[in-house]
Amino acid sequence: MFNTFNQDLPYLWQKFQSPVFDPSTGMDQETAKEKIAEFGTLALPAPVIKAMGFEFLAKNLQIEVDPRDFFPSFGCWSRRPCVMGKLLQVIGKKVETTQWPLACLVNKTGANTIWIDFDHSVPEWNEILKRGFPGLLANALEAKEIHRKNGTLDEKKTAYFDGIEITYRAILWMLERFIERARSRNSERCDFTADALQRLHDGPPQNYFDVLLIIYMYFMFSEIMDHMQVRSLGNLDAMLTPYYDRDLAAGTFTDSQMREMFDYFFMQWGSMNNYWGQPVYLGGTRADGSSAINHLTHLILDEAVKLNLPTPKIQIKIAVNTPDDFIDKVLAMIRDRHQSIVLVGEESLRYMLTSYGATEEDARTAYVSGCYEFGCQGRKHSNITAGGHINLLKPFELIFNGGKDKATGEILGVSVPPLSEIKNFDDFYRLYLAEIDWNIAANFEIVNEYEAFLDQINPSNVFSATIPKSLATGRDAFHNGCDFNNSSMALGGLGSAVDALSVVEELVFKKKEISLEELACALNANWQGYEKLHAKIKNFKRRYGNGIPEVDRLAAMLSRTCANKVNNKPNARGGIWKASAHPAKQFIAQGAKTGATPDGRFAGEEFSKNASPAVGSDISGVTAMIRSFLVLDAASFPGDFPLDVMMHPSSVKGAEGLVAWRKLVRVFFAGNGAAIHFNIFDTEELKDAQKNPDKHKGLQVRVSGWNVHFNKMDKSEQDMYIRRAESIIE
Amino acid sequence: MIQARYVDIKRFAVHDGPGIRTTLFLKGCPLNCIWCHNPESRKSTPELAFYRNKCVLCGECARICTCHCLKNGTHELDRSSCTACGKCADSCPVDALELFGKTMTSDEAVSLLLEDELFYSDGGGVTLSGGEPLLQSAFCAEVFRQLKERNIHCAADTCGCVPWKNFEEVLPYTDMFLYDFKCIDPEQHRKLTGVDNKLILENLKKLDSCGKTVEIRMPLVPEHNMSEAYICGAGEFLSSLSCISAVRLLPYHAFARSKFLAIGHADTMPHVDSPSQSDLENAAGILQSYNLKTIVL
Repeated sequence: MFNTFNQDLPYLWQKFQSPVFDPSTGMDQETAKEKIAEFGTLALPAPVIKAMGFEFLAKNLQIEVDPRDFFPSFGCWSRRPCVMGKLLQVIGKKVETTQWPLACLVNKTGANTIWIDFDHSVPEWNEILKRGFPGLLANALEAKEIHRKNGTLDEKKTAYFDGIEITYRAILWMLERFIERARSRNSERCDFTADALQRLHDGPPQNYFDVLLIIYMYFMFSEIMDHMQVRSLGNLDAMLTPYYDRDLAAGTFTDSQMREMFDYFFMQWGSMNNYWGQPVYLGGTRADGSSAINHLTHLILDEAVKLNLPTPKIQIKIAVNTPDDFIDKVLAMIRDRHQSIVLVGEESLRYMLTSYGATEEDARTAYVSGCYEFGCQGRKHSNITAGGHINLLKPFELIFNGGKDKATGEILGVSVPPLSEIKNFDDFYRLYLAEIDWNIAANFEIVNEYEAFLDQINPSNVFSATIPKSLATGRDAFHNGCDFNNSSMALGGLGSAVDALSVVEELVFKKKEISLEELACALNANWQGYEKLHAKIKNFKRRYGNGIPEVDRLAAMLSRTCANKVNNKPNARGGIWKASAHPAKQFIAQGAKTGATPDGRFAGEEFSKNASPAVGSDISGVTAMIRSFLVLDAASFPGDFPLDVMMHPSSVKGAEGLVAWRKLVRVFFAGNGAAIHFNIFDTEELKDAQKNPDKHKGLQVRVSGWNVHFNKMDKSEQDMYIRRAESIIE
Repeated sequence: MIQARYVDIKRFAVHDGPGIRTTLFLKGCPLNCIWCHNPESRKSTPELAFYRNKCVLCGECARICTCHCLKNGTHELDRSSCTACGKCADSCPVDALELFGKTMTSDEAVSLLLEDELFYSDGGGVTLSGGEPLLQSAFCAEVFRQLKERNIHCAADTCGCVPWKNFEEVLPYTDMFLYDFKCIDPEQHRKLTGVDNKLILENLKKLDSCGKTVEIRMPLVPEHNMSEAYICGAGEFLSSLSCISAVRLLPYHAFARSKFLAIGHADTMPHVDSPSQSDLENAAGILQSYNLKTIVL
C-alpha cells in the first residue's frame, strides 16, 4: 500500500486533468449541472433550493475510489464552469439590482474590476476536525432547537437551518456511496480508504490520515460542490501535529508512511491546478509565545519542495522568535528556485488585524484566505469578499483626456476642468483624488447593493455549519454570520501611480520642463511623435522604490488617503470595508484597458504589482526598495499589501548571502511589512527557460499571488518577467 | 569637511565584509591590474563613459558639447578635448553617458551611507572600496569617525599599496580590512599590476602587529597567478600572520570588458576562462593546508 507514489503519479496528474469515470456510478457533471438548474425556479427559499441541488449531486454524481490513490474522485471535478454555477445564476436572477449599468461602465473602462467574489473565506477547520461531518450536522440541529425553544426560529432562520440539514445529510449519503464503491474495488488501499470514510461518516477524524481525508473531502463538498468558501487548507502544521505525534507513538503509521500520504494529499491540488491556488500557513507562534515551528512544519516544507507544485501555496509566518536556522532553510529553498514560498510577518498581521478590532490572539491564529489575504479563526471568525479593484492609473487618462475613457469613449468620473485651469501640483493632486473618490464611491454603491443579498445569491450551507456564531445567530456565515463580515477593496497600481504623480510634480510644476498640455498630447498619442520626451521620462529617477524621501512621502500620502476612504466604512453585511494593495491579476488586466500615463507607461502596459515598485523603477537596490515600502502604514492596509522582490542569485550567494538575506527579512518584518515574496532570477536563466522549456520544467514564478510554472506562461507574460529580471540591481 | 572623488555606491553588498553593507567606491588606484573589474576607478581624475548600446542618437549631448557629434548614423566622442565636466551626461535622456569621479563631501557621504542604517544592526555596516580608498585616507578617516560615533562597523577594502601613514590615519576607526593579495612573487606582481608587492607585504605585516582583523581577497586568474608555487607561497606568507580571519578566493571573470570600452581604455583583460571549480577547490585546499580559513565565492 505504501512506497507507490512515483508509480501512481501519472494517475494522480490525470485524476483532475482528464478524469475517467465508470458511467455506472452515476451522472456526469454536465448533465447533473443542467438537472439541478431546474430547481432554481422552485418557489422555495434560496438555501433550500441550493441544498436540494447539492443533495441531487451527492446522490447522483459519478464517483470513484481508485486503488492508485488514497483519496476519492468526485464526478464534478471541473471548475469551469462549476457544477453549481447554473443553478446559482437562476437563483441570483431573483435578486433585483439597480447598479448594473454603473458596474458595466467601470468594468468596461477598466476603472474598476468588480465581480461577486465567493472565494476569500475559510471554514473553521478546528471545528471540522473536532466534530466531523455528523458532529457539524448535530451542531446545526441543536442550534435550530435552541432557536425554536427561544421563539427566534423565523422563516428565514428555518430556511437557513433546513439548507444546512439537507446538505449535511446529503454529505453523509455521499460518504456511504464512496464507502460502497471502495469496498467493491477489492483493493487493500481502497479498503483502507473505506475504513477512514466510515469513521468520517460516524464521527470526527481519529488519526492522521483521517485528518488529511476530511480536509480533502470538506474541500470537495464545499469548494467544488457547494460553490467555494474554502480558499485555504488551514494552518496545516498546527492542525496535523497532534495526530502525527499520536500515530507515530502508537505505531499506527511510520514517518515515511505519513510523508507519503501527505504527498498524495498535496497532489490532489497539484492535479486540480486551479490557477489562483489554495494557500496554507505554516509556522508562527503558539499561545504560550513560543515558536510554532515544529517537525510537521519541516515535514510539510520538505514534501512541498520535493513535489514543487504551484499549488497548494506555502506561506510561512515569521515571528520575532522564529529560529534563524529555520529562516535560513526556507531562504535556501527559495534560492534553489523553490520560489513559490511566501513569507508573512506575524507581527504585521497583529498590527493590521487589531486595526479593526481583532485581538492579538486572533492575529496569532489567523489563517490565510487568499493569495495574501488573511482572516480570523478560533474564538472569532471572519468571512471576506474581494469587492472591487480600484485602478489608480485611470484618473490620469481621464484628467488628460477631458474626462473620457480613451478606448471606449465613455465619460466617467468627475467633471474635468481644462488643463489650463490646473495651476499647481496641489490643483492636480486634488483633481486626481476626486477621481479616486468617485471610483471608490461607485464601488461602494455597486458592491453594497449586491452584498446585501449574498445569502440569497450563494447561501453557504456547508460553510455556515462550521462557524459557531453563524449557528448561534441563525445567519449565513458567508453573509453576516461571522464575527467579522468584511469586504476588501484593492488599490491597484500604487507604485506606478506614485511615479506618475512624481513626474507631474517634478517635471511639470517644479522644473517646468514640460507643460500639462504637452504631456496630454504625448499621452493621447501614446508617446508617438514624443519619443524624446518619453526617453526623458523613462529616465526620470525620482520614482517609488528607491528610498527617496520626497517620493516616499508621496507614496505614504497617496496610500493613506486612498485607504482612509475605504477603511472601516460599513459594508452591507454588518461588517466593514478594508483596503488592500493586492489587486491580484488586475495589474495586467486593467493595464490593458488604460491609456498611456505620465510615468512613461505605454497604453496597454501592465502597472506596478501589489505594493511593489513598477518594473525598472527601483534602481537603487533591495534595501532602498524596502525602505520605500516601509513608509506605507500597515494599518492602512488591513486587507494586505505584499512586496515582490526579484534578486540576482549573486546577491544571496554563499553562507554570507543567506545570513544577510535573513537580516533583510527580519528588518522587513520589524518594520511591519506584511508579506514578501522573493524571486531569485538571472536573465540568462529565464531566457534559456523561454527557449528551452523542457530544460526548466520545475521553474516557478509568482504572477501576483498565485504561482505558475514559467513554461506554462504565454510569451508576453514571460517577456514581462524577463524585463523585470533585466532591471535587477546585482 | 573633506571631499573625495567617487565612482559608485552599492547597497546590500553582502560579500564586502560581515552582514548587510553599503559599499562606496572611491576613485583612483596606484595599481593597474590587467584584470581590473572596476577600470573606471583607476584614474584619480573624472572620466566620461559612453555606452553605445544605450545611445538613441537623440543629439542632446552634441547640442551641449562639441566633443560629441552624430556622423553617418553613429555617435562619435572626441575624448582628446573632453574635460569630463559631466554636462553631457546630465543631458542624456537614456543614461548612455555617465560621469565617473563626481565629488562628495564626507558629510554627504555619511548621510548617504546612513540611509541604510536600519539594515546594519547585528554586524553589518559600511565598506569603503575603490579604486584604492586609502589614496583618499583623510576622507575615509573622517567618514569612519562619524560612522563609529553611531557604532557602525567600518571596513576598508584596500590593495595595500599606499604609504603606511595613510593606514595610520584610518586605523583608529576601522574594524576590518579587506586586503587584496594578487601574487606572492614580486616580479610577477609587477607584470600583473604595474608595481611590485614590497610595500603591500610590509603594510600587511604592520597591520598584523596592530591587531586589526584582515580578510585577504585573492583574485585567481588562470595562467597568471594560480600556479601551485604562487598559492603555496601565499599560504606560507599569510600563515605567518595572526590577523587573517579568512582568505577569500575571487575567481576571475571577464564581465568588466565592456567597461574598458565605455571609458575608452585599452582592454587589458586576459582572454582566459574563469577558473574551474576543481581549480578553485585545489587552491582552497592548498591554503587550508596552511591552516587558513578559505572562502570560495
